[in-house]
Amino acid sequence: MTNSHTPTLRLILPLAAVVVFAMLLTFSLIRMFEIENAMRVDAEQNMLWVLHQSEVAALRLSETVALADLGEATRDDLSLRFDLLVSRFVLLNDGPQRRFLEHTGFGDDLDRLSATLDSIAPMIAEFAPGDGAPLRVELAPFPRLFGRAANAAMMAEWDELGGRLETYRDQLRQIIASLIGIMMAGGILAVILVLALRQTRQRNRMLRRERDFSALLVSSSGEGILAVDQSTRCTMWNSAMTQLLETSGEDAVNQPLDRIAGFFDTTPVREGIKSALQGETSRHMLQPLFRKDADEPLYVDLRFFPMRNEEDILGAILFINDASDRYAVQQKDAQDRDRLEYLVAERTRELDDALLRERSAGEIYRNFAAMISHQFRTPLAVADSALQRLIRRGLHAKPDEVVERADRARNAIAGLTRLVESTLDAARLDAGQMGARRVECDLGEIIRTVCARQRETTPTSKIDLRFDIAGSVAAFCDPAHAEHILENLLSNGIKYAAPETSVSVVLHADAQWLFCDVSNTGHSIPENERARIFDRNYRGANSVGVVGTGIGLFMARALARLQGGDVTLQPDVAGVTFRMTLLRFKGGQT
Amino acid sequence: MFIKVAALACGSMLASSATSADQPALSLHVTGQFAKAPVTLDRAALDDLSAVTIETSTVITDGTHSFTGFLMRDLLDHLGATGTSVTAVALNDYSVEIPMVDFYDYDVVVATHMDGKALRRADKGPFWIVYPRDDHRVLQDIRFDYRWVWQLYQLDVQ
Repeated sequence: MTNSHTPTLRLILPLAAVVVFAMLLTFSLIRMFEIENAMRVDAEQNMLWVLHQSEVAALRLSETVALADLGEATRDDLSLRFDLLVSRFVLLNDGPQRRFLEHTGFGDDLDRLSATLDSIAPMIAEFAPGDGAPLRVELAPFPRLFGRAANAAMMAEWDELGGRLETYRDQLRQIIASLIGIMMAGGILAVILVLALRQTRQRNRMLRRERDFSALLVSSSGEGILAVDQSTRCTMWNSAMTQLLETSGEDAVNQPLDRIAGFFDTTPVREGIKSALQGETSRHMLQPLFRKDADEPLYVDLRFFPMRNEEDILGAILFINDASDRYAVQQKDAQDRDRLEYLVAERTRELDDALLRERSAGEIYRNFAAMISHQFRTPLAVADSALQRLIRRGLHAKPDEVVERADRARNAIAGLTRLVESTLDAARLDAGQMGARRVECDLGEIIRTVCARQRETTPTSKIDLRFDIAGSVAAFCDPAHAEHILENLLSNGIKYAAPETSVSVVLHADAQWLFCDVSNTGHSIPENERARIFDRNYRGANSVGVVGTGIGLFMARALARLQGGDVTLQPDVAGVTFRMTLLRFKGGQT
Repeated sequence: MFIKVAALACGSMLASSATSADQPALSLHVTGQFAKAPVTLDRAALDDLSAVTIETSTVITDGTHSFTGFLMRDLLDHLGATGTSVTAVALNDYSVEIPMVDFYDYDVVVATHMDGKALRRADKGPFWIVYPRDDHRVLQDIRFDYRWVWQLYQLDVQ
């Protein structure tokens, strides 16, 4: 409570003193002007002297009349004295004098004597010695009247003077009182002034001490500190700043900020200063600061603050802290993290691959029996049939026939061996452990071999073989894989062909590829199965009742793709056509 | 009789300046420290001085009046009279010592006419020293008021 009242009281007292001071001063001045005016106007009446002179003039005329009576004065003397008395009457009858006499009650007396004066004028003009006695009788009232009037004038003037002096005294007393009041008000003001001065000096001393302390803090700070005014002109630049930017305080202070260093013209600094000048605090961490003649930038933290005085924003303060060490640590952490992440990803991928391989291996083992039943039965049947005939013929067999039968059995066994190898290869392929050993090989020969073997296996089937190609039929492929693929396609073709129809095998080519189309006239494959027919273990709707595992086409395509080729299902024209595509051998390929 | 003569003199003066030479009453005695001293200036001699008219109020009359006559300094220059003061003497033996500077600081007139009428001896004539009271505030002071000598007939230059 007292805290809020004291400043008001402190303000009211001097204000009241000033008001009193001004009022008293005005009052005294007005009084003094009044006195000055009164002294000028009223000090000019001098009726006592005028009446005295009139009395003298009257007495001199009486005297001259007496002398003239004795013949000791001339008529001219008499005339002069008379004129002088007349002139007095003219004077007394004039404005101010006449008013004074009327005021003091001598107006009528003056008129009567004026009339007397007019009446004695002829006596003066025609004066002769001996005429004096009646004239003196006429003149006798003049000095008496003037004497009485002088008395009255004296009293009136003294009354007036006394009154006027009293007024002056009153006014002077008021002025003196006012002056005492003025002195007191002045004294109060002087005391207040001295107190205020002492307080101001004390505050100044405190402020100076605080400022010195702030300056000490700023200059000894390890952080770069700079201040700018509203026009972004630098107003403060500490020694840490000098070290950071290699610009001295003399060069920086009073310069526009963007002219001190290019760093201050970068977007984060400009935005930071701008928002600080709008009264907002902001910070930007780890900003690169490129110095003159330095390859590596410093990394600095920037903090922007508005500089306020009461409500006004005077400027902005920017703290720059060299955080290069922290940046380096952070960078190293980031690198370590990246490397760790990379290692983890790598390991995860390896584990995934291993898992996949493991699963594939399991799958392959599970399907191994199926594969044997599907793929291995044909050559076994061929070998078995050849050997059975040999046994049946027994001793009746001719040597040529024995050789022929044995060769057939051996061929079938050789094919079986190849198949086993190929199957193992396929298993390895599935396990990701195998590639294709691509070499130049005669695809025509392979086709013929496969067809011949197929005819042996299924003598009832008809295979139309056609080569729509001129020149080399050399392919760049793995012959075992190619054989495997073809056998699969051909056996499929025969298996699903309509009875009594033939399966056609057509070899053709373009500049880069060899195409081997295996077609039959069997049931076309429904649209919804076409995409899935190459999936592992998928069996189409038309395979019901037909022996198979659903692994053949999957293997065929996988092996073809392994060596850069493919197996595709051609659009239906008449029947079903599978196409094996292999690279032509161009020489120099590996 | 004398009054009548004076009145006649005034009338004739107003009527024509040619008859002015017949007025022995208008004469100014000047004594003092100059070559021609003492000298009595008659109407003809005074007519040689250039006439001036000033308008002013006085302390013994109401309102403002016009006074015609000649400048005191013209008279002194005309006579070649120099000094520090002039003592003016009136017909009733009233005498005042006037500092010479008054005549050079202000246009002090030796008036012979008031409001176009010649001054009579039975009034303020023949001469009345008039200060330009209304033109200078400093002249509105009793210490100047007593220098307004009327019925002047003699000047003594010291």
